[in-house]
Amino acid sequence: MEPADELLQQESALELQAEPMRLNMGPSHPAMHGTVRMVLDLDGETIVNLDLQPGYLHRGFEKSCERGTWAQVFPYADRLNYVSPMLNNVGWSLAVEKLLGIEVPERCQYYRVILGELSRIADHFTCNGASAMELGAFTPFLWLLKVRDWIWDVLEKETGARMTHSFGRIGGMAAPPTADFKDDLRALIPEVHKVVKEAEIMLIRNRIFLDRMQGVGILSKEDALGYGCTGPVARASGLPYDVRKDYPYMVYDRFDFDVPIGEDGDNWDRFMVRLEEIRQSVRIIEQAIEQMPDDGPVNVDDPRIVLPEKHDVYTTIEATIAHFKLVMEGLQTPKGEVYSFTEGGNGELGFYIVSDGSGTPYRVRVRPPCWFNLAACREMLIGEMIADIIPTFGSINMIGGECDR
Amino acid sequence: MSQAVVDRLRAQFGERLLETSHAFGGHEIVVADKDWVEVAQFLKEDGELQMDHFIDLTAVDYPERPSARFDVLLLLRSSVNGGRIRVRTRVDEGQELGTVSGVWPGANWAEREVWDMFGIGFSGHPDLRRILLYEEFIGHPLRKDYPIDRAQPLVPYREVEEIDKLPPFGIEEGQPFARIDWEARLAGGDNQVSPAIGLQQGQRRALSDSEAALQIQKRLAAKAKAAATEATSTEATKEGQGD
Amino acid sequence: MPTFKLDGREISFEPGETVIQAAWRVGIEIPHYCWHPGLSVAANCRMCLVHITSGRQMAMPQLERDEETGEYVPSTKPKLQPACQLAAEENMEVSSTSDVVKEAQASVQEFLLLNHPVDCPICDQAGECKLQDYYYSHQATLKRKLTEPVHKPKGVRFGPTIVYDAERCIMCTRCIRVCDEVAHDHVLDMRERGNKAEIILAPGRELDHKYTLMTEHVCPVGALTSSDFRFKARVWFLKSAPSVCTGCATGCNSHADYDPRYGKVYRLRPRDNPDVNKFWMCDDGMMTYTRHETDRLLMPTAGRGDEREPVLDDEALWLAAEQLRKVEASKLAVVLSAQHTTEDNVALVKLAQALGAGHLYLAALGGWEGDDILRSDDNNPNRAGAIQAAGGTQLKTVAELLTEVQAGVVQGVLALGWATAERLEELAPLVALETVVSLTSHVGALPAVASVAIPVADIYEIEGCFVNDKGMAQAFKPVLPAPVGVEPGWKAIAALASQLGHDLGFQDLQALRQGLTTDVEAAQ
Repeated sequence: MEPADELLQQESALELQAEPMRLNMGPSHPAMHGTVRMVLDLDGETIVNLDLQPGYLHRGFEKSCERGTWAQVFPYADRLNYVSPMLNNVGWSLAVEKLLGIEVPERCQYYRVILGELSRIADHFTCNGASAMELGAFTPFLWLLKVRDWIWDVLEKETGARMTHSFGRIGGMAAPPTADFKDDLRALIPEVHKVVKEAEIMLIRNRIFLDRMQGVGILSKEDALGYGCTGPVARASGLPYDVRKDYPYMVYDRFDFDVPIGEDGDNWDRFMVRLEEIRQSVRIIEQAIEQMPDDGPVNVDDPRIVLPEKHDVYTTIEATIAHFKLVMEGLQTPKGEVYSFTEGGNGELGFYIVSDGSGTPYRVRVRPPCWFNLAACREMLIGEMIADIIPTFGSINMIGGECDR
Repeated sequence: MSQAVVDRLRAQFGERLLETSHAFGGHEIVVADKDWVEVAQFLKEDGELQMDHFIDLTAVDYPERPSARFDVLLLLRSSVNGGRIRVRTRVDEGQELGTVSGVWPGANWAEREVWDMFGIGFSGHPDLRRILLYEEFIGHPLRKDYPIDRAQPLVPYREVEEIDKLPPFGIEEGQPFARIDWEARLAGGDNQVSPAIGLQQGQRRALSDSEAALQIQKRLAAKAKAAATEATSTEATKEGQGD
Repeated sequence: MPTFKLDGREISFEPGETVIQAAWRVGIEIPHYCWHPGLSVAANCRMCLVHITSGRQMAMPQLERDEETGEYVPSTKPKLQPACQLAAEENMEVSSTSDVVKEAQASVQEFLLLNHPVDCPICDQAGECKLQDYYYSHQATLKRKLTEPVHKPKGVRFGPTIVYDAERCIMCTRCIRVCDEVAHDHVLDMRERGNKAEIILAPGRELDHKYTLMTEHVCPVGALTSSDFRFKARVWFLKSAPSVCTGCATGCNSHADYDPRYGKVYRLRPRDNPDVNKFWMCDDGMMTYTRHETDRLLMPTAGRGDEREPVLDDEALWLAAEQLRKVEASKLAVVLSAQHTTEDNVALVKLAQALGAGHLYLAALGGWEGDDILRSDDNNPNRAGAIQAAGGTQLKTVAELLTEVQAGVVQGVLALGWATAERLEELAPLVALETVVSLTSHVGALPAVASVAIPVADIYEIEGCFVNDKGMAQAFKPVLPAPVGVEPGWKAIAALASQLGHDLGFQDLQALRQGLTTDVEAAQ
């Protein structure tokens, strides 16, 4: 013990005051993903209370949906979870298709599965990479994002955009798969495996990384349920809930894949669940490539739902009218209320839509998975140190676009 | 599975289950607002149902309805048996609904969001304040009568005493990028208004509009004057010539 | 009443009514092009074909393709009947949604689109076109005939108001029937047959009667378009609000279609009212909307001739009050307006009573020809309402006012509205008066001779009611917001009254309407 410390212990009058200190973290803080403000009450470095304040990125997604057509929601949906936009696109397509009572052709279902799983891989790579970077490991971050770029190369080739694809359509996709889609994927898969392996070597035996991740930010299974956590956060807490397994949609029931779950619900488990899910997504993609038909229609055959070919629109009145009706008035849905849910990048991505029978949604409620994960973040953080906010907040993968909408 | 949930609820609540329906693969029950918390409690704690997984709580606005303007919806799932259910109740404007945040902590934020977006209060909620919008926001934007392009007034700086929960940045803090004399501005009552608000509140209408009308008026009036003084002016001209 | 069944639903009908008419009355639309509730039956579009499933079945022979052998074998199919021509009978069972009917509807729709040009992007009807609506609801297949369509004349000028496009025309003959049956002028007819058919003008004639815009109104497609509305706006941007035509004392009910983004009315459409205008409006009435934004007075002005200057609202009220105070009450003339709402006139009468002004006059437009179809002989929408506001006494005219001014009986004028039959030159005696206060929505002869002109809101910006020549009070709501700072007439009058130190005792329209003989509430 240093002499100065001894002196401090003797002189009780020098004790630090016991009243908690209030500290603002965010909304613009380098380690705050998106813009979230935390008002912390600190006892020394320990967090005794915190108030999480989202909303800095609120753009009125749900209100905006109420004034366009059903198809005009796709660009908005892209910008919910903008790290895995294709999953949102597919989620919205499925919600409206459920309302219409149609099912897209099999080829399209496989196509959607593959593009969605690619998005999920990119999403998990981003989250894990950022977690590592925030703890000082910059190299794994760059390695993981390198693969994300390769995945985006494939997505760009398919959809024309690297991030906000707006590629989903009600009753199909904007375009059929390119001719070398499968070859591109076959070339990509070994690279993904390789980088996952490299990331593991770099990180999972790293003392600093382990100390910051293990036993930190624990969320119990009961809290995960009560707070409505889903996705990797819930699975890390030992809740084996994956929409793809429990309520299979599209062709997910035809694939053989596992749902990884954690035991402790700490940052480490969340990190490892995501890493393992990347492998499982690759497994799904591998099987889907084999099962996906090479030809056949992608869109449903109904000009009342799917836009006709551009050439027809310019030359025949029927296609012009169909195009006109779909664009100006929107496709006509039956009256009703639908809750459709899929497994998004962060968990159950639900769309609760109310249709009044017109071409415009009456109400669109998106159930953003990370909204509820963020609410549970308070449970994870109280009692932890201020420095633990960074890995914990990173591991729940709050995406402002989806959380605040 | 979900049909079993409805049957179990029917057995428990009988007539208090106002409606049940099944559409688009989802089961729904409707309960009265006074039964809301009790049904929620039962759904979670009943040994058979075990709806322990909170999924969502949201609302829909139907301003055209004569009474009970809002639908409030609770979406639940059981992690034990995988059953799902949607519970609906109807509340009127200004009416408070019991909170279910004591049953599922996740409802805390969801109810705050419903309060924020629709203005539906939840009695017994531990911390009912806006969540996505700021305290000074006027109105509840997901109501159908809130126009999507309404502009909100610029918020003046908060006083620390006013909101003890949200310590704001002080007047001189947090603005390194702009040297604005806030004290003077606030003291002078400089009511900052966005351009859009300016239009709504009614600036003086542009003069150019009325100038056209004015021209026409002047032209007509000149003609009137000419006509009225025709006789005298003719004489005047003659006199002028005479001079 | 006897009933028949349409798609399982009981529908009652008056004896002699057709199936489509009885269904239309209860709000069920059987798809149709050529049928119009206000016109005679033509039964030539074949869109309203229905299947009568009760009674003795009629069958039609047909050749049906056997998919297995690829040969055509003789068979029969039910004979469908046009619902517009089919008289409803007791206990008849009609189907408009069975498979065979649906097939017929799809076929008719496909047939009508066979030679239709790809015009939607440049067609004014797009967005309210029946071809589009029925394509979506009854056909929804892509084109099978891929040969060159038949070409016919486009952009034919039928008259000063109507342009005709023969390629878009589906030969429903509604326009011909409107000319015959509504305007009683057989100026349109059809020539040729089959896909060469087109609508033509009578030789040496133009489409120039008083109801030409009704041909455009009834046209279910974009074949007839109005020169006025053509290429001005796309209908899906327009919103519609119920209004009442200000063209004449008939008070035809109308829809005012306006663009909320620009606060501008683009056109009027007749609103069905069997008691007033049935389904129709005349051309002049249809064009009254153009008055709304031309020559508006948006700022108060004071002074005459070259000295006329814009003044502030308060200044104008103060000036007006000052000038009115100088006039002896018995020598003050108060001029009501047959173009303003009853409420505005009531408020002005109340002010006149408060001031003790003895002389009441009525300013009204003239120079108009009525007919025995819709057009009233009086082109003022609310002469009856203004007279009612004055307590039912006959009011003196502006011509009489001018004589009295010249005689020196009247020394000051408080006038409502811009509309007078007199031209500006004839109003010259008023220029000599020091006090001529005008409350007006537009610039015109009366405001031009005013010493103070105060702007008030136009008819599309206020709530109020008109009393038409049959004595029916018809209330209407505002369509557009008034320009900033411009108040409805009755509010401006109340403001002027309080400037003069009088409380007229009303705060809202309800209070103003009390004591009126016609029941305004019922009219709403």
